[in-house]
Amino acid sequence: MAKDRSQSSDYTGPLRRLLLVVLVLVLAAVFLLWRIDSPRVERFRAQITDRLVPNMEWAMVPVTGTINLLRDFQSYQRLTEQNLELRSELRQMQAWKEAALQLEQENARLLDLNNVRLDPRLTFITGVVMADSGSPFRQSVLLNVGARDGLVDGWATMDGIGLVGRISGVAKNTARVILLTDTSSHIPAIIQPSGQRAIVAGDNSAAPPVDFLESPDLVRPGDRVISSGDGGVFPAGLLIGQVAADPGGRLRVRLAADYERLEYLRVLRHHGNEKVSDTAHVITPDGPLPATDPTSPDVKP
Amino acid sequence: MNDQSQTRLWLMRAAFVLLALLILFFHLLPLDTTPSRWAGPDLVLGFACAWALRRPEYVPALALALVFLLSDMLLQRPPGLWALLALVGCENLKGRGRGLRDASFPVEWLTVGVVMIVIMAANRLFLALALVDLPRWPLTLSELGMTLLFYPLIVAITHWVMRVRKTAPGELDAHGQRV
Repeated sequence: MAKDRSQSSDYTGPLRRLLLVVLVLVLAAVFLLWRIDSPRVERFRAQITDRLVPNMEWAMVPVTGTINLLRDFQSYQRLTEQNLELRSELRQMQAWKEAALQLEQENARLLDLNNVRLDPRLTFITGVVMADSGSPFRQSVLLNVGARDGLVDGWATMDGIGLVGRISGVAKNTARVILLTDTSSHIPAIIQPSGQRAIVAGDNSAAPPVDFLESPDLVRPGDRVISSGDGGVFPAGLLIGQVAADPGGRLRVRLAADYERLEYLRVLRHHGNEKVSDTAHVITPDGPLPATDPTSPDVKP
Repeated sequence: MNDQSQTRLWLMRAAFVLLALLILFFHLLPLDTTPSRWAGPDLVLGFACAWALRRPEYVPALALALVFLLSDMLLQRPPGLWALLALVGCENLKGRGRGLRDASFPVEWLTVGVVMIVIMAANRLFLALALVDLPRWPLTLSELGMTLLFYPLIVAITHWVMRVRKTAPGELDAHGQRV
């Protein structure tokens, strides 16, 4: 064996160099392929993650739990202090709860009066966060629900309160959620009460800035930011957060979702906004004239 | 003797891949989902450099390429580019390993630092040429700085815990030859 090796050492040098060149070419080809045909490579990436990460779950869950427990231990030391804080907060909350109940009743009455029908198809699937992006350059999490559960790219993801991100990359058992804080996240939003439209564009900071605002003067810190549904891929009316101004005077969104601990996320099923495809017809005292276009769907004979 | 060193060679090769997988595992734990202002050290690259300088035969180019490509895939980086640069960097270090065998640690640190800076700069250059969104400077620089700061610790772990040491003069390598 040793003899073979020593004889072969004459050409291991060139062979090794050849292997290195081949590897470099393959890696360069992978990068170029990704640059040219990104969706295909991203799908491949999702499949790799789908194979590997669920296998690690048995270890990930206890390790994450232990580390979180250790972190919590630091806060146990301030237990009494926290208890007092919580009590005073609870008193405030009770006042708010009362207000909320009254508002809820009022809201129900008004909805009833207006005969409003909420979209019955807006249902959700809840998934557990299995892993994060693993790098400080990207902000995303991996959910344990995927194509098996009927997930589709682009669906909105929320925690209990606010929008967290959108699904981007679905494999069989897992799906990746691009968080609103990621640099590739751009969500059309509407700012209430002024009704200004804007884009909430992530920039890898905890509070994403508000871009493309027509008249920033109309927007004040504290205004609510909700998704507008422009573009038709994202449901409208989901709470994103509140406007806040950073020290530089730039408007940012303080996100409503609790990004500190993303554990269970809701994925909202979204079947696309309906479009008005019919064109107007001439209206006579006997009703609308029949359309000349025979393909028009609601022609009345 | 030879069989034993062969076994050890393959064991250490497997150990390197396992170590990389372990580091990736801890990267993927969903502990902190808020964006942070600075980045932690790139331990996979650090260990790869330390091992490549000490025992090049434990980190063959194929294993390095696979590990780097896998970390590209799992950590949501543009796949291929970082792997390519890190592989070339480590192969370059392997070539210098013999010259650095008798050098003191600061010299090694400096060499590794230069290689890492070149990798980082080339990565940004190629990303910019391919018109990919660049990560912000503070993140890139803090990752580089942290990796360099952690390098002595990485070397200490490599040396004392994993017992991957520089070959002493006259020692036989895994193939039963003088190195």
